Amino acid sequence: MNRVRLGLPIASTWWLGVCLALWAALGVAAGNTPAGVSVPRFERVQLDNGAVLLMMERHDVPLIAFDASLRGGAMLDPDGAEGCAHLLAGLLEKGAGKRDAFAFADAIAAVGGTIHTATETESITVSGSFMSRDRGLMIELLADLLQRPRLDRSEFDALRAREIETLRAIKDSDLGSLTAVYGKAALFSGHGYGKPVDGSEAGLAAVTHERLRQHYQDQVGADRLILTVVGDFATTDMKSLLTKAFTGWRRSDQAVVNPTAAARVTGRRVVLIDAPTSVQSYFWAGNVGVSRAYPQRAALDVANTLLGGRFTSLLNTELRIRTGLTYGASSGFERLTQPGAWQLTSFTQTATTIAAIDLALDVVDRLHGTAIDAAMIESGKAYVLGQFPLALETSAQWANALGDLAFYGLDRSYIEQRAAQLNAVTLVQAQQVIRDAFPTPDNLVLVVIGNAAQIREGLRKYGPITEMKLADPAFAAQVR
Amino acid sequence: MRRITATVVGLLCLSAATTYAAEPAASAKDITAVTLANGMQILTWPDRDIPNVALYNFVRVGSRNEAPGITGLAHFFEHMMFNGTSTRAQGDFDRTLEANGARNNASTSNDLTIYMDWLPKAALETVFAVEADRLQNLAFEPKVVESERGVVYSERRTSVDDNPSARLSEQVQATAFLAHPYGIPTIGWPSDIESWQISDLKEFFQRNYAPNNCTMVLVGDLDPQATLALARKYFEAIPRRAGPKAVVTKEPPQTGERRVALQAEAQTPLVQFAYRGIASNDPRSAALELLLRILADGDASRLHRALVEEQQLAISADGYLQSGFDPGLIWFSLSLPAQGDTTAAESAFDREIERVRKDGVTAAELSRARNQALADFWRGQATIDGKAEALGTYAVLRGGYEKLFAAPRAYEAVSVADIQSLANDLLHKSLRTVGVLTAVASQEAQP
Repeated sequence: MNRVRLGLPIASTWWLGVCLALWAALGVAAGNTPAGVSVPRFERVQLDNGAVLLMMERHDVPLIAFDASLRGGAMLDPDGAEGCAHLLAGLLEKGAGKRDAFAFADAIAAVGGTIHTATETESITVSGSFMSRDRGLMIELLADLLQRPRLDRSEFDALRAREIETLRAIKDSDLGSLTAVYGKAALFSGHGYGKPVDGSEAGLAAVTHERLRQHYQDQVGADRLILTVVGDFATTDMKSLLTKAFTGWRRSDQAVVNPTAAARVTGRRVVLIDAPTSVQSYFWAGNVGVSRAYPQRAALDVANTLLGGRFTSLLNTELRIRTGLTYGASSGFERLTQPGAWQLTSFTQTATTIAAIDLALDVVDRLHGTAIDAAMIESGKAYVLGQFPLALETSAQWANALGDLAFYGLDRSYIEQRAAQLNAVTLVQAQQVIRDAFPTPDNLVLVVIGNAAQIREGLRKYGPITEMKLADPAFAAQVR
Repeated sequence: MRRITATVVGLLCLSAATTYAAEPAASAKDITAVTLANGMQILTWPDRDIPNVALYNFVRVGSRNEAPGITGLAHFFEHMMFNGTSTRAQGDFDRTLEANGARNNASTSNDLTIYMDWLPKAALETVFAVEADRLQNLAFEPKVVESERGVVYSERRTSVDDNPSARLSEQVQATAFLAHPYGIPTIGWPSDIESWQISDLKEFFQRNYAPNNCTMVLVGDLDPQATLALARKYFEAIPRRAGPKAVVTKEPPQTGERRVALQAEAQTPLVQFAYRGIASNDPRSAALELLLRILADGDASRLHRALVEEQQLAISADGYLQSGFDPGLIWFSLSLPAQGDTTAAESAFDREIERVRKDGVTAAELSRARNQALADFWRGQATIDGKAEALGTYAVLRGGYEKLFAAPRAYEAVSVADIQSLANDLLHKSLRTVGVLTAVASQEAQP
């Protein structure tokens, strides 16, 4: 039992929180003691086939971490086949090169390595770590996984069935993690950012083996790859190994089509997902926020930290500390190539659903008023700055951070200038950012998962309701 | 409860392998350990990679120290420790830490309540001041107690009542222990959450939140002597107290399999197995941890391969150890597909357990488990947080912090014969409790 269990009720926001911590601050400790985090030396190589290789030496522990991003991700899932990229990511590690699925898993485990594949909105990722003495095997497995996956039909059938069942299991046990999935499906309807990264039951069922193989051919290749390797190795040696392993890889058959910016929603509407046996209501409110390139990111991070990014945030203070309505309430931005979602999320027992939503919306309204003062800005800055070094402590964290810089076309100053930018944030800047990037409470998509019979009438005051059932096999409401 | 899972995973990480034992580890010489005059233990471990410090305060109190009527109280205290003192208003603790760049959290298990702070090094004295204040001067404001009662109930609804897997494991755990308080759910039974009185809280605090019942671990960018001087300044004056009553109840021998059936409105059937286990300081811990890795750690493990990949009877097969001051449980959990056959899944599970009991494990499997353990050890050593948790866990539960650094030798000493012997001793049907959750339509479910 944790006091603040970040993973469950605010899964998507937790991810955002990590992002915020990573980019929002730089090593200046509380008390204004300068302790800047500079980016350690690293080497960048781009192969003729387009693959980008980044290498950074760190010798504190005998491990090497890697983080590979393949540009694309769930946003490129064919309409009606949501989960295609997710299945592809999972299938990559189910046998590759000379190894079948078990031999591949055994080769990783036999040396204590890890390889984890995942799908995000804009990328398929492959990350993990190995003992440094096993770097040759690590690169062999990684190269096989990316370049020579078997994509066997029998493994595909088994994985697809299991992923559909896993979604059903999540609907049994982790409703809080689903509000953002429904929310983004509604907020980004018809846009790639609305596609559920792990697919839907209906979408997964519609993915065929042939379609998945074609997706691999079209959407995976050297030109999509940013591979970051950080840890206990000699750069000369690692560069030679990686270059040899990836030089011969083909390019993907199709060029990436970058998404266009989605429009912010105006007015307010409600998506109600009926979960008749749930004893709580899980709610989410969101609108289109800002992109990774947003210029006022320091002020944005401080403002969101104060609204819903730490324990004493305005949202958590009102919904948890002051009223005891919930175990947790939070907010965050998903900053992608184009503006992603700003979102707040919380949950409460069924009987207090409307009271909790009212309170959350009232907090957002007050954010646009006088809720923030200069002393809070200073506290928010100290918090973000003080936590930042903890987000860049390990090789895996550095691999992720360097990969992100390359993915979004940012340079090291994005990290190294953050302390100065944060220290310079003023109340006026924060207020300007709040007006610019945070929605007002009357312009939102509101998602509620709960017992519809008991909360439907109360929700009507927030706007027109689109109702779904939890058992529906898609996350986007059917257009009738 | 959930936290102890993480702790056990942490313990699993603290192993090494014959194949890879040559890597130099940190040594016990890096640790400065002092017991203050009031009995509070302070451990420091300098690590200057980043300008931060991880602080873990292990309080030796958990649901093991509860009884009917006050179940969940240790966890409730985990919450109340953030809610104000006679000198600081509710919320001041968090506001002070955050304004100084620090974050905090806490967790409760059967055995321990752990308070954690992650801070910039410059904030250390400020953090000590507020940590000492709440150990000495905790307030029991009725309005705050009622509000926090609502928060804890919300946590219970989310983590148990709206989670069929947690509902089943709560029932299995309560059935596995007839006498020992390990049968108490750490979150507390609902009627107890509704009924605690302020007098219960005061009594619990006075007894258990004693400095002599605390071990504080600090890892990071710190000077040990300066840190100890600060610790003396802020903590040594806190009076020694009685400390928890000894838990004298021993679970009587189990003489046959126990079964729990739970019907729930769910899509996914579940089967859980809880075997009677061992205590954290049991010398067989290393062998048991390696056995569990062979059975249930990752895609190459036996249960995953047999039940998930080959027979496709389950969508996941997991295992973890629950151990503490007293013998806990060895858990295995199967999630089934919506129309899954719980009987077939249980039979397949039983075949795998019987196979390891009859034929043991291979040398390759043992080597793999050791290498996984060693690599996880280094992953844990990569952060000041991982080091603080591991050091404290060894100091409090595993017989002394020095054993953290001796752990590799314990794993090297494990043989395939040891593992088979242990499987035969512990993984016997008569020593387990089985829980089966059957998914039913709404009108059929139990109230």
